[in-house]
Amino acid sequence: METKTVTITKMSKAFPTGEGEFLALKEVTLDFGAGEFAGIVGPSGSGKTTLLNVIGSLDTPSSGEVDVLGYKVSQLSAKQSSELRSHHLGFIFQTYNLLPVYNVYENVEFPLLLLKMDSQKRDRMVKDALEWVGLTDKTKSRPAQLSGGQCQRVAIARAMVKKPSLVLADEPTANLDTENSLHILDTMKNINANLGTSFIFATHDQKVIKYLRRVIRLVDGEVVSDDLQTGA
Amino acid sequence: MIFKLALRNIIGNGWRSLINIGIIAAVLISLIWMEAMWYSWLVLAKTQQKQWEFASGMLRSKNYDPYDTFSWEKSYAPIPAEVLPHVESGDIVPILYAPSVIYPGGRQLSAMVKGIPAGQKVLELPSSGLAPSEDGPIPALIGKNMARTTKLGIGDVFTLRVKDSAGAFNAVDLQITDVMDSPVPSLDIGTVWVDLSALREARLLTDVATVLVLKEKSLQSVSAPQYELITEKEFFADLNEMVMTKAVGQSVLFLLMIFLAMLAIFDTQALAIFKRRKEIGMLSALGMTKGQITRMFTLEGALYMVFAAIASLVLGFPLFWYFATKGFALPGGVDFGVVGFDRPLKFVYPLPLILLTLVLMFILTAFVSWLPVRKIAALKTVDALKGGTNA
Repeated sequence: METKTVTITKMSKAFPTGEGEFLALKEVTLDFGAGEFAGIVGPSGSGKTTLLNVIGSLDTPSSGEVDVLGYKVSQLSAKQSSELRSHHLGFIFQTYNLLPVYNVYENVEFPLLLLKMDSQKRDRMVKDALEWVGLTDKTKSRPAQLSGGQCQRVAIARAMVKKPSLVLADEPTANLDTENSLHILDTMKNINANLGTSFIFATHDQKVIKYLRRVIRLVDGEVVSDDLQTGA
Repeated sequence: MIFKLALRNIIGNGWRSLINIGIIAAVLISLIWMEAMWYSWLVLAKTQQKQWEFASGMLRSKNYDPYDTFSWEKSYAPIPAEVLPHVESGDIVPILYAPSVIYPGGRQLSAMVKGIPAGQKVLELPSSGLAPSEDGPIPALIGKNMARTTKLGIGDVFTLRVKDSAGAFNAVDLQITDVMDSPVPSLDIGTVWVDLSALREARLLTDVATVLVLKEKSLQSVSAPQYELITEKEFFADLNEMVMTKAVGQSVLFLLMIFLAMLAIFDTQALAIFKRRKEIGMLSALGMTKGQITRMFTLEGALYMVFAAIASLVLGFPLFWYFATKGFALPGGVDFGVVGFDRPLKFVYPLPLILLTLVLMFILTAFVSWLPVRKIAALKTVDALKGGTNA
């Protein structure tokens, strides 16, 4: 039986508004297996980021079930959510969200510090992660000294350094030019192939969509298609 | 990790951090300076009063009430037989007080005349010049203040009128032999010093005194039923009270300075929560708990205090050193009429008090830092990541 990384069952997410509530996700049912390279695509406001946030336990569903690596998202305490994120999930954001006061090495090292890992092991893992993204020569640089593409590669290294089971990437190429976007996507694809890490993207960037093995289309909070892509 | 990140954030904050540290350091330097000034003044005032007036204790005639001028005329008591040998040996100094009227330059002024043995060695009061001569006016000693008020100087002769024990007025001529520079104003203002025997003679008294100043503490147990022992605590009660009153007055200024420093910290922290929402969201997304994030921000604020303490010691050192070696002099002509302020006050730094101030400031800074960052607990990670404002 295939191992499921994420299982979503009839999950809805509503946000309060002035007049009542806005249903961002409507009874979504999906599952993701290990080693997926999948994307949730759709126009702005379709609910991609909301779905990604719920999978990442950054937000809770209004109804339905979301199981991430055996954790039931709706039943998690704040501390358990933190534990799920720190141990098993990696995040890549559109705006990189690097710590400006840390250099590249320290930014990548940060998730391992949260896991209270010993320094030798930490050092080895940080260097490995920087090698994956090709930034071993920039360890001392601060985010402000890097290009957008380099910053996103640091963010990928940070997300990958602890070798999480699942990486959630929200519009990772939105701020990058074509060359850097392709470089980033190649990097993530290699990591996915070599380490077996699952990637779930939220995107409307065609460059990203071309790379995806599985494309889930979301329109107005509903899954309208879920297709495998060949040749990606 | 939290400490390292907090430290990096402070360094990364650049000028804002420097301004905060500067403000707190300035407040700390002011606080230490003020504390040192009051402490040094108190220590100096007590030392000088001991050297010039109190020595190791004082026995005061029960007939003397310093707050009742009508009691002063009969404020003496016989010196007990048990005490007399100590007086002979110079270990106990009898002083006799008497209200009097002096006539310097044809004017009439009230003065307290005090008789002290010319040869006493217990107090630093320069009484040696008071030894009476065979003929001529009685040698008298006054302080600088008294000299200014009475316009008397060395060599001047004036008349003193004092009541004798029978109630009759006696007039004697006095000649100023010395004008002393006493740091204890009460020994100077409105006071004329003469030899004890000369005053007794003028008042037709023998072996009486108003106060008995003790050279050694062990003499406090001497039997003198008509005298009451004035302990150090009682003697300095007025001084302590005055310092407390002035300190309370100063504390308003202290509080204002501390308030300004805390306002800077609070403002920085409140602004940080607002400006660094994305960072808070990212830290949460990476797996930091709200508690860890709150602790990091609180520590960040508290670290300002640590840096400020170091900065205040480094930057304040030249100032502290200057006041410890050169002293603090009030602007020329200012006379507070209190002990210790008539000459540069060399600062002594009360380490326990300074440490207590630093610890209290640290606790206060940590608390003020924590106040705005409590909001982090209510901040949703997704809202924070968006940089939203609804905490």
